[in-house]
Amino acid sequence: MKCDNDMIYLMHKYLDESLTEEEQRILGNHLQRCEECQEHFHELKRADTLASDKTGVTASSSFTNRVMSELPRNRKRTTWIQ
Amino acid sequence: METFIAERIKEVKKGNVQAFEDVVSFYQNKVYFVCFRMIGNSQEAEDLAQEAFIRAYTNIESFDEKRKFSTWLYRIATNLTIDRIRKKKPDYHLDADIKGTDGLSMHDQLATDEALPEEQVENLELRGYIQREITALPPIYRSVIVLRFLEELSLQEIAEVLDMPVGTVKTRIHRGREILRKKLRNV
Repeated sequence: MKCDNDMIYLMHKYLDESLTEEEQRILGNHLQRCEECQEHFHELKRADTLASDKTGVTASSSFTNRVMSELPRNRKRTTWIQ
Repeated sequence: METFIAERIKEVKKGNVQAFEDVVSFYQNKVYFVCFRMIGNSQEAEDLAQEAFIRAYTNIESFDEKRKFSTWLYRIATNLTIDRIRKKKPDYHLDADIKGTDGLSMHDQLATDEALPEEQVENLELRGYIQREITALPPIYRSVIVLRFLEELSLQEIAEVLDMPVGTVKTRIHRGREILRKKLRNV
């Protein structure tokens, strides 16, 4: 099979965790034979891993306290103006 | 965890303010992650995430308990952040990017004035670079793909958060991911 957009679509479906077993087999077979697609797949997985990394992306330690101190005192009587 | 949160929300609705503390503490880093990845600035992300929790609290009566609380909360946070991005004017305060530092802000530099081991410096630079590339994504892809990077919501749930068809969610994730693939292939 020629590696066209169909294979790239399957790679994205893999990353979206929505590949069927049949599609998984097709993609797997293709990747064994096509270096170009292996490279593409590797780069996609890498971009996902890097962008999903949560290291260092955390709220400050005073976050919860600050939210709690800024809540309106009586929610039921507050009129919320959007 | 869903059950625990659902119980806490019931308490908040009854008027128990303290029950909301558990909710904030459980979701703070997740909401912050979404805001930060979208806006790219730690101070603004912190303000937006706080505002999201305050709005969730103030509007808790309108939350339908048959729905998932997290989806509702991410919807508030995402809408606030999208609004902020739309209104954003160029500014030059402490968190503004410094030329040539790959997305590291002056704020980060002030906080890290001690010498860091080389590996940590590289990580900081890499993280700054990744963040800058995500923030550079066109806004229509950014919100969708950032919710995907949270690695917590299904495509269907992302569609609910952003109020768009699941097909659109898929397409935008694929396009956004292709752009990032090209930007991040050599890092």
